[in-house]
Amino acid sequence: MPLTVIAILCLQTVQAPPAAPAPALTARDSAFHVLNRLAYGPRAGEADSLAKAGVMRWIDQQLDPDHVPDPRLAEREKQFKILDYNRSDLAGRYRDAVRERQRMQREGRDTPDSIVMRSPGPMRELRDLGGELQQLAVVRAAVSERQLREVMVDFWTNHFNVFVGKGQDRFLLPSYIEETIRPHALGRFEDLLIATARSPAMLFYLDNAQSVAPGSMPPQRRPPPITFGPFGRPRFGGDPFGRRFGMNDADRQRQRQRQPTGINENYARELMELHTLGVDGGYTQQDVINVARVFTGWSIESPERGSGFVFRDWAHDRGNKIVLGQTFKDAGEDEGIRLLKFLANQRATMHHVSAKLCTRFVADDPPDGCIDAAVAAWQKTNGDIRAVLRAIFTSPDFWAPQAFQTKVKTPLEFVVSAVRAAGVDPDTTPRLAGLVARLGEPLYQQPAPTGYAETEEHWVNSGALLARMNAAMVIARECSSVQPLPDHARLVEAINQQLLGGTMSAHTRDVILEQIVDISDPMQARAMAVGLALGGPDFQKQ
Amino acid sequence: MTISRRVFVKAGGLALVSLGLDPLFLARAAFAAAPRPGSPTTRPILVCLFQRGAVDGLNMIVPHGERTYYDDRPRIAIPATDVVDLDGHFGLHPGLASLKELWDNKSLAAIHAIGSPDSTRSHFDAQDYMESGTPGVKSTADGWVNRYCQHDREHADTPFRAVGFGPQLPRILAGSAPSLAIDDLQAFGIRAPQDAARDRLTRAFEELYEGAGTGLLASSSQEGFEAVQLLKRANPMQYRPEHGADYPPGRLGKTLLEIAQLIKADVGLEIAFADCSGWDTHVNQGSSDGQLAARLKELGLALAAFNRDLGDRMRNVVLLTMSEFGRTIRENGNSGTDHGHATAMLVLGGPVNGGRVLGRWPGLAMEQRFEGRDVAVTTDFRDLFGEILARHLGATDLSAVFPGFSLDPGKFVGAIRS
Repeated sequence: MPLTVIAILCLQTVQAPPAAPAPALTARDSAFHVLNRLAYGPRAGEADSLAKAGVMRWIDQQLDPDHVPDPRLAEREKQFKILDYNRSDLAGRYRDAVRERQRMQREGRDTPDSIVMRSPGPMRELRDLGGELQQLAVVRAAVSERQLREVMVDFWTNHFNVFVGKGQDRFLLPSYIEETIRPHALGRFEDLLIATARSPAMLFYLDNAQSVAPGSMPPQRRPPPITFGPFGRPRFGGDPFGRRFGMNDADRQRQRQRQPTGINENYARELMELHTLGVDGGYTQQDVINVARVFTGWSIESPERGSGFVFRDWAHDRGNKIVLGQTFKDAGEDEGIRLLKFLANQRATMHHVSAKLCTRFVADDPPDGCIDAAVAAWQKTNGDIRAVLRAIFTSPDFWAPQAFQTKVKTPLEFVVSAVRAAGVDPDTTPRLAGLVARLGEPLYQQPAPTGYAETEEHWVNSGALLARMNAAMVIARECSSVQPLPDHARLVEAINQQLLGGTMSAHTRDVILEQIVDISDPMQARAMAVGLALGGPDFQKQ
Repeated sequence: MTISRRVFVKAGGLALVSLGLDPLFLARAAFAAAPRPGSPTTRPILVCLFQRGAVDGLNMIVPHGERTYYDDRPRIAIPATDVVDLDGHFGLHPGLASLKELWDNKSLAAIHAIGSPDSTRSHFDAQDYMESGTPGVKSTADGWVNRYCQHDREHADTPFRAVGFGPQLPRILAGSAPSLAIDDLQAFGIRAPQDAARDRLTRAFEELYEGAGTGLLASSSQEGFEAVQLLKRANPMQYRPEHGADYPPGRLGKTLLEIAQLIKADVGLEIAFADCSGWDTHVNQGSSDGQLAARLKELGLALAAFNRDLGDRMRNVVLLTMSEFGRTIRENGNSGTDHGHATAMLVLGGPVNGGRVLGRWPGLAMEQRFEGRDVAVTTDFRDLFGEILARHLGATDLSAVFPGFSLDPGKFVGAIRS
């Protein structure tokens, strides 16, 4: 970013928080609020230090994460093997795991998967990498100094949801997170949208890789080679790694039948309903069909080998397409890019995505004011995500007392904020990711393209609350942020200050004190008190 | 006169908690007519199974008597030789063969060409409408099952009256009446190494949340603690399926087993809800074998096991499958089907008027289709849901359950024996 721009941005924000209606938040509450919303909750003592150093300065730094040093995370990431493998490595490992399973089926070994998983082998290795993938998200959220970026990575991962359990997305998802979502999380919306549209993970998840103009046929090819040759024709659906050894006429016939012969509307519909315009965005079924026609030919090169995006000219619909009254003349691959830019800058898109951001950062039912501010910033900057976020963070609605401690944390937010508050040092085992899953949010495992919901009615129910209490007790056992003080009153006050930012209610304090009154071992008393504090009602909110 | 247990508990029971008295015990005394846990109930029970992703009704309940069906589905139609014939015109997908016995003994019926009056082909919207019970109206805050629970309060409602099986409370159960989400019945409650520690910790958290004031956190947590107590008393943990019932491996079988378990525990279950996914067959749907066949086989085996396990208790149970819409009549370019309109639903149980395909069949000819491509809806899903609520559960005020829709018993398809 040019220096002048930084200077202007700093000028704009240094004077904030802007004139919020009285009673305004105290400096400490402001810091606590910001750390809960722009970050995954404060670490012990962090709200105080932030209040002293200046909240707005910290927000500016978070909006420019490349200049925030993050050595601890860099060190921690080295322990994650999943980051050492690229898409084609993972595709190979997937292939090995599928072969192992097929071999077992052929041999008639009717072994349940859970038993196979315990013995070393490709299936077990693949499962372990899947666990690492989920845990990595939790570790980054817990450890990174670039907290806002991690929050936005989670936001966009949900907005552009891809279900890891769908076939090849099992090995396409890691690169989707690393190469598609993360680099664009604080960039321009348009670039992010294009990146997702071209990503193998999304092309496979919403079936666009299979969408071809009706009647189109791939160019004549030589008979498939015996092994995976460079001209091996990609197979669509079914077992992606079925080998071509001994293919007979019936096999070829079946393969021909599996060749896609028409358009698939799935991506086109979700692109408009979920990714851009919103369900009330004013498009029709005919628009959906025409968008699908624009994207015919957007596919994946040799998907089974983890290759990247390819535009198949032969599969592209050459006619003109009208979307929302705008004509898209035949221009091959470029048509899709033009359409994505067109959709990214529709008013309905700005409103839909801004409202979603405000639901995340301000309130479950966000006031119009912050949404309008975000839309205005979007319009002015052509969808610079940082500018949109800044507009939200400087809107009076964000700083209003009614926004303070009124949003229920999602399961990921709850677990990570508890880990940060308690000073737990997470490792590479998927233990914490498993907790998040048990609370109802298994990462990357939402099958519906909507992603996970943000609002409290989706997360607060009696069963899930009981699960949160259990998770709190587990996390509390590893607490290192509060000293095991033998004086119970001081212990509980330390918990209030370090873990709850001073928001602990008198009732909570009394109940905790009563519960630990007969526990003489300071370690046990601390575990019980911290567990109750993290599992209690105060800590569910942000 | 009836007393709402929750009102009683909220008004008078809580003050006694700190004295060590159990509000549930008092609550139970407050309505002596309520069944005690462990004693068999004759209360009618509804189990709803949502096939999320839009099941292909045409390959589930196959119109094998229609030439068009075979013309439009050269690669994925179920060959007439494989269909389990029901009435010469319709037949079961061979994956559902395990249900034929229930068809023959008249406890299973299918409703064809059922769906929403709203034409949306969005999973999200259509599921939302089917759960809110208000097609076309997005602002409805609660689900229709919850509204039924709100308006028919004469039952002795325990926290287990309406239970969603899964980690999150589904939309259909959301609302002001108490409802519960259970992800794993065995692990339900606060965990601790010993019983005494568990009881103590449970009480501690219960007290903490009593201070949470009002709102969702407070009411949900209270429901949770009541449920823990009730389940503990009923002690259904040593559960073995009866009558040789063999649930298929996988989530659906486990969920139906837990529902059977909860029914037999007599803890006041009236409506159970569960999801089963994997029906969005855009690509390589398969025919008699393949992707959809595997899902249907699991469904058929799970339903058959559930029916067998409950045995005589099925007298009072109706199980209903639902799905947000059907799929295109014509197969797509990927040997799959895209989002369509009407689909088929199944009803199973003692009170069911079974052995028949109900509803008016609109036909598959081009001019009979919805928008020229999909099966037309001839039965509004609310007519079926309303019939089951009224004739099975005894709902008294359907206009409150389905606002803006006038239910006409004349339009009921006759799924429940009168």
